[in-house]
Amino acid sequence: MTRSLLSAPLRTAAGLVAPALLVALWQWNSGGALGSVAIAPPSALLTAGRELVADGTLGAGVAATLARALTGFGIGAALGFLTGVAMALSSAVNRVLGPLLQALRQVPMLGWMPLIALWFGTGEGSELIVVCVASFFPTLLSTHSGLRQVESRYLEVGRIYGLDTGQRFALVQLPAALPFVLTGLNQALAFAWIATIASEILLGTGAGLGVTMQQAQMQQRLDMMLVAVIVTAFLGFAINQILLHLRRGLLRWQPDNR
Amino acid sequence: MAGSLVSPSLGEARAFAGNLAALAPPVLLLALWEVVSLSHLFPEQVLVPPAEVFRTLFAMTQSGELQRHVGDSLHRLSVGFILGAAAGLAFGVTIALSRLAEAAFVPLFLTLWQVPVIALVPLLVMFLGIGEPFKVAIVAIASFFPVALAAFDAVRGVPRAWFEVGRVYRLSLADTVWRIVVPATVPAVVTGLRIGLTRAWVVLVASELLAADSGIGQMMEMGRQLFQIDVVLSGVIVSGLVGFAIDRGARAIEQHATRWRAA
Repeated sequence: MTRSLLSAPLRTAAGLVAPALLVALWQWNSGGALGSVAIAPPSALLTAGRELVADGTLGAGVAATLARALTGFGIGAALGFLTGVAMALSSAVNRVLGPLLQALRQVPMLGWMPLIALWFGTGEGSELIVVCVASFFPTLLSTHSGLRQVESRYLEVGRIYGLDTGQRFALVQLPAALPFVLTGLNQALAFAWIATIASEILLGTGAGLGVTMQQAQMQQRLDMMLVAVIVTAFLGFAINQILLHLRRGLLRWQPDNR
Repeated sequence: MAGSLVSPSLGEARAFAGNLAALAPPVLLLALWEVVSLSHLFPEQVLVPPAEVFRTLFAMTQSGELQRHVGDSLHRLSVGFILGAAAGLAFGVTIALSRLAEAAFVPLFLTLWQVPVIALVPLLVMFLGIGEPFKVAIVAIASFFPVALAAFDAVRGVPRAWFEVGRVYRLSLADTVWRIVVPATVPAVVTGLRIGLTRAWVVLVASELLAADSGIGQMMEMGRQLFQIDVVLSGVIVSGLVGFAIDRGARAIEQHATRWRAA
């Protein structure tokens, strides 16, 4: 195959060329300015990073952003899961809530921000609600459709064993729907992360990585901005990896996940 | 199944009743909203009756203000999307066809992908200000990644045997591309384009909230700052409708582009 044209170390080396060129170009331009922004050299990132760690901004920001994202995700996903279960199990609930939630879902996730800020102020509460809304819908949709798609032969086995409604849900429907639910949770967590950063940038109260970005923009500090962006990207990546491992663990019993 | 046992007219009547039942909750909610807001339980900056929101919507349509905001947003969306999607297509096809390009660019691509697009808003504002270039750039970036990934997957997914058939028929390169690569990749690429477009809309509305002088997001943000809840709610409704129309339109195109698969 063509893949053997490039050996593994050579491929790694090739992958480093583009980033290295980028950094070189950046270093070469540093000292100059783009628009009104002074280009700090790449090495300034380390200085800025150390400075932000030393004065506690970064630590407090990371802690606040993570707490906000995970709390909002926890509440929003729990509500989404319960609503999805209720809608899948009861056609009356589905008929009452279905059309309304479908309509509300069309509004872009962050489009709710001004309304929420108007109702609840620009404080911690509003930021948390934005994150809840962002996590609610993906969890709801995947839970609902996952439970709806449980194969009827599984349900029949449950009937043969004489399971009552609660047992059927816990032993048959929920395990069968679990892959869908987890996919939804994965998406919800990604949305929660984005919503956290966006609400921090817009509402900008307290500590948080988005708040740091907003401050860096106002002070025209490229180094500070990039540190915040890089930390945000890294944390998002780490959260996603943890969730993927959890998923693999939870779905070990499924043939295609072994 | 149960429906086939009853006569068709009875089934239709039931379906009609079912549709009416589905309409009841939203109508009830609207009525409740109207009653509660007319009761002045909440101050007017917090809750206005739905009739008031529709009056505002109507007034903004008559003055042309709403059309201007929606038009500005859609204009940014289309320019940014065309740029981002074209770049994404070119990039995705290149890294799919060349192993060297894949080795050279995929690690950087995957690293940059970890950055939430929204986190780039303050960075781009710093360099580009809050004018049109910033909004076009953010839409282009939001569209670039899903389209590039879809194009890469699609081109890589063309079965080797299909190229061999082309060789047997002695197709020229142009014919190979036109008759084999394009039909084989169009469905996946169109799906990628749809995802890119809907993401770009969400990102655009958010960036207009954060920094803009016009557009549907800015309209909502201005409404918030001036405590005009009717304007904010109008914005929520319109951004939902536009998002819905974009998604439905893109899905229709997607179905049209992939219809040969069903045959």
